[in-house]
Amino acid sequence: MRDAALDRPRTEGPGSIRVVRGGRFRPGGVVRFVFIGLYVGFLVLPLYWMAVTSIKGQDDQLSEPPVWFPSDPTSVNYADALNRFNGWKGLENSLIVAFITTFLAVLLGTAAAYSMARYRTGKHLAFWFLSQRMMPPIAIIIPIFLLYSRYAEEWFGFTLIDTRTGLVLLYTVFALPFTVWMMYAYFRQMPPELEEAALVDGCSRLQALGKVAWPLAAPGIVSAAAFAFIFSWTEFLFAQVLARDHAVTVPVALAGMITFFQGNLYGQASALTMVSLIPAVLLGILVQRHLVRGLTLGAVQG
Amino acid sequence: MATRAERIGRRRPTAVSSWVDRHIGWLLVSPAVLIVVALTIFPLGFSLWLAFVQYDFTLGPEHPWVGLDNFVENWKDPVWRASLWRTVWFSVTMVAIELVLGMLLALAMLRPFRARRVLMTLFVIPLFISPVVVGGFFDLFVRRPYGVANQLASWVWPGTVTVDFTNDSPWLYLVLIMADVWQWTPFMFVILLAGLSAIPDTLYEAADLDGAKPRQSFFFVTLPLLVPIILIAVTFRLIDAAKLFDIIFSLTRGGPGTDTYTTSYYLYQQGFEFFHLGQGTAGAWMFLIMLSFVSFWLVRRLLKPVEENSL
Repeated sequence: MRDAALDRPRTEGPGSIRVVRGGRFRPGGVVRFVFIGLYVGFLVLPLYWMAVTSIKGQDDQLSEPPVWFPSDPTSVNYADALNRFNGWKGLENSLIVAFITTFLAVLLGTAAAYSMARYRTGKHLAFWFLSQRMMPPIAIIIPIFLLYSRYAEEWFGFTLIDTRTGLVLLYTVFALPFTVWMMYAYFRQMPPELEEAALVDGCSRLQALGKVAWPLAAPGIVSAAAFAFIFSWTEFLFAQVLARDHAVTVPVALAGMITFFQGNLYGQASALTMVSLIPAVLLGILVQRHLVRGLTLGAVQG
Repeated sequence: MATRAERIGRRRPTAVSSWVDRHIGWLLVSPAVLIVVALTIFPLGFSLWLAFVQYDFTLGPEHPWVGLDNFVENWKDPVWRASLWRTVWFSVTMVAIELVLGMLLALAMLRPFRARRVLMTLFVIPLFISPVVVGGFFDLFVRRPYGVANQLASWVWPGTVTVDFTNDSPWLYLVLIMADVWQWTPFMFVILLAGLSAIPDTLYEAADLDGAKPRQSFFFVTLPLLVPIILIAVTFRLIDAAKLFDIIFSLTRGGPGTDTYTTSYYLYQQGFEFFHLGQGTAGAWMFLIMLSFVSFWLVRRLLKPVEENSL
């Protein structure tokens, strides 16, 4: 049936208005929009509750039944969360770690991906990188913890536990498979002729990468960078184990507020959450076009 | 152009730069490979030793060889066995619900309408929020007495609902699953929507001409064409869901008792609450091996066509 369908000549000419839109399965209008509406509700309710909690005063938070619309919104939670509960420190650490991780992952990742796409170091390494993505973090967290807290000191004379450097190293490793796979797909669909022309013009191969291939791949690099950033911005398990105090990141600070002081710090925790959403959501909107490819490591073209 | 080429061409390449040129492929790829090896392969090797010795902060500084004791200890622990089983049914349930919801949503969003773009943006937001924070949202949302879940439930359910959603079975499982579904349904949605949009209209027109009803064209045209993409989405999600940790951590902390321990959470507890590092490592190895079997089997099968097309 499918072959017959493909062989059949198209009935309408170019530019003509397509009257028959075919028998595509389309749930009826009402059902469709009711479903979308319900889903929007499911999506927005917890977000709304968080937003409202972040501007509620102490009385409103503890009232029964719960207050949906606080009568006197306050910003005291924000000030509290940022100044008293590691808020600024967490934001600062998270930003620094995320930026450096992104830079390193993109630099190393695009270089590796370019080599794999152009110089046939590719196929096996590609799978090897992908397999790193499949590794559960819990499988290496204990040896990493010991390495950072103990053996780095004994063997190399410096400690990595509770430092931003330690987090950056680890996050770079975990962001690399993303970057490599996304950029691998990107470089392969780029025609090699321009780089070849540069080589003919006397560029070295390194220059061909730096002056031709990298600039041309800029859109891909931007989205790969955004994914690397979001990964390190939202990562929790490693940070929880490796960065409890000095290098504390936003998710760790938040988890501390949510879980250790249950019932007391809801306002502050919500406030810090709201702040932490800003960069993530902005970047999310930025990478929307490349979303599918990023999420599936290039396995599906978006 | 010619003069420029000549000008550059006249400069003689140094020994270093020509060596770089000859080995450029390996030079570019090696930094990435080295850092990954240093921070994953090396720790894994190290942990192989760790799994066979007594490494326990509660038992003192010596690390005598204990053979398979660490592995056996895990299997003797009913919590470990329960956590494995729970990880399996959690992941399968979550991914199944996400798949169905994501599919329905993708079908509903396929045809353009007025607010579509805004909604698309809204729908993908959960993908960029830290899972531990999502757990926090839901905790706030359902925790008695200040959360609104009971109030909402009372509106649709006869009588007053007073469920402790973070303690009462089966509601706490429901909340955990809902939190995961909240976060990851957009993943399914986005991928399936991409797949749906890629199916050419001509196929549907042909099916229509052949007299297919809409439902028939869904089951005989859409679904078969969508199968590869569904498999990819499910694979990625399953592998991620099996690592479930963050939501547990912020929503229930494994409780009540050990009722919501997943394997990742169990291993975290072994390692960083009780400091049975040897035992935790042994468990991590078993988990890694089990997960690798599943994921390599899935990934090999799935990415084969991608690999062939692109080379």
